[in-house]
Order: sequence, then C-alpha cells, then structure tokens
Amino acid sequence: MAAHATDENTPVGEIAKPNTGWIWRTFFILVGITAVEFVFVFLMEPSTFRNSIFIVLTIMKAFFIVAEFMHLKHETKGLIWTILVPMALLVWLLVALVTEGSYVGEVLQNMFK
Amino acid sequence: MAQPTTLQSPAASATQDAPRTGNWDGGNEPFKASYGKLMMWFFLLSDAFTFAAFLTTYGLIRHKHEVFTGTGEFVFSTRWWPVPDRVFNAFPGLHGMDVPLGFVALMTMILILSSVTMVLAVEAGHRMDKNDVQKWLLWTILFGTTFLLSQAWEWSHFIHGTEKGMLMADGTTFHGANLAMNEYGPVLFADLFFFITGFHGTHVLSGVCLLIWCFIATTNGTFHKRGHYEMVEKIGLYWHFVDLVWVFVFTFFYLV
Repeated sequence: MAAHATDENTPVGEIAKPNTGWIWRTFFILVGITAVEFVFVFLMEPSTFRNSIFIVLTIMKAFFIVAEFMHLKHETKGLIWTILVPMALLVWLLVALVTEGSYVGEVLQNMFK
Repeated sequence: MAQPTTLQSPAASATQDAPRTGNWDGGNEPFKASYGKLMMWFFLLSDAFTFAAFLTTYGLIRHKHEVFTGTGEFVFSTRWWPVPDRVFNAFPGLHGMDVPLGFVALMTMILILSSVTMVLAVEAGHRMDKNDVQKWLLWTILFGTTFLLSQAWEWSHFIHGTEKGMLMADGTTFHGANLAMNEYGPVLFADLFFFITGFHGTHVLSGVCLLIWCFIATTNGTFHKRGHYEMVEKIGLYWHFVDLVWVFVFTFFYLV
C-alpha cells in the first residue's frame, strides 16, 4: 500500500503571489489621517471648527475602511445603497438630538437666573 | 386504496434535477453576494444602529452640559464636561507623567494594524494559501488581544483615578470612577465611558473568540476541503466593523 505523499489538508499546486500593495496603501492613508487628527488636537484650541475637521477626517477614515477593507466599493450598487441609506438617516438623528441636547442644556442652565 | 396525490410524476422530478436559476426560484444571489456575507452585512448594519444610539446619547448628554470656558488651567468639576486629553493622559510605566491621549493613540494604531493583518488573511484565503491565512490570523489574534489588554489597563486606571482625587462635601476625598460618581466630571461622563468602550470591548472579545475558532478550523483544513475561505471573509467583515466603530468612538470620545 503506497503511502500518501501529500496530506490532503495542505495546499497542492501553485499558490498565486500575494497582491498586497493596495492593503498597505490603505493602511498608510489611515495612519496618516490619524496623525493629522493628533496634530489638530494639540495645535488648535477646541472650537466648532476644530470639531468639524475631526468629523470630516473621521468620515474619510470610515470611507477607506468600509470601501477598501470591507470591500463595499466593489459590491453591487444595490448593496452599497442598502448600507448607506440607513446610516445617512442615523446621521440625521444624531444631528437632531445633539441640537436638542444644546437646547435642553440652555434651558436648565438659565432656569434659575 | 387511493394513491397519495403528492407523489411526483417522473416528469416533475426530472425538472428538479436542474438547478434553480430564475429570479423568483431562490436560485440566484441577490446583490451578487453569498447568503452568509449578505447576512453579515445586515447584522453589522443592525449593530451600527446600536452604536449610533450610544454615540447619539453621548452627543445629546454632552451638549446638555456646560462647556469649560474659564481662563487658565482646566480643572475637573461636576459643573462642566471634562476635556478628554486631561482625563486620558496616563501611560503604563510612566507614572505621574502627562501624556495626553498617548495611550489611546497606541491602542488606535494596534487596532488599525489588526485590521490590516485581517485583510491580509482574507487575501491569502482568496489564493487558497493555507499557511499565509494561518500566519495572518495569528497576527490578528495577537493584536486583538493586545488591544483588549490595553483597554483593561485603561479601565483600571480610570476606575482607580488620580492621586489628587475629588474633595467631597463631607471632607473625604474620592478617587477614580464608578457608575454613581467620578472625579472627572458629571456622573454621566463615566457611565458613558463604561458603556460605550465596554460595549466596543465586548465586540473585540467576541471577534477574538471567532478568530481563534477560525484559526483552529483553518489549521484543521476545514476551509481548504470546502474549497473556499469565505468564513475568513465573513469574520473579516465583522473585525473591520469593530475597527470602524473604534474610529468613531475615538473621535467622539477622545478628540472632540
């Protein structure tokens, strides 16, 4: 009885060369954006303008993670919209409730003045 | 005795042999994605709702509180919301040194790196390269575990607090934080910290468990026999989502 020369669990035949350039490129973009965020934390005084910079940079990072790492950019249009539309509605909720929070705070802080 | 009417005629069973491919037969893949991947996407969408609810709550409560507008050095007070880089300025091994956001920067880097090793595992799976899948899964498990340990340290430091602490009305000093009181600011600040980073940490923990299982299955050759490494892809989607949530937690809890 001939012994099996190859284990059936190990790959046989040619294994293609890794194609990882795009992965590392995305990685350096993410690291770069995070570094820029840290520069703004220490160089700028807290303000609404600084916060908007952070939010824009965060959305950029989210885009690269979802589009490249999660591969959503290469899926069908239907799937992309299925994910994006509910998220866009949540942004609306967030903006509405943050505005509400400011109003509640203003009312409470000025109640006994 | 009458024959059961449900018996299929030979002609009917012959048509069953062909795969179903029509639009309404259930044989095609909506969005050209497999069932498993599609369901993972929808699960992640529902999970995003949960995290969005957390962050929206954070936004509302934060805007409800006063902002520190005084001149000079910021001090902790229950009157105003704390400035994050005054709260999170400790680093393991550098006791008493002021390293604003240093440790959280390191944690962010670790999580981004783990995301990269995860994509590398998925990429190796596409090439049916079992050894590479194993290698990159192990790196991802390592980075994920490191992140969890870092978060444990961060929590421990937050709970035990600074040496200065907060002077209470009865003359005693309170150090650190729990769900009912904290030395950094309003009560809800610590509550939100525990809930948001805790919920995210639970996700990382589940991810590490899935990855360990996935590594064992890869080593056993389960996916190789199956002919594809789609399971690595699905767990990868989950893992990137956890990284994505951290990107938002990082901005809204630590930077803004």
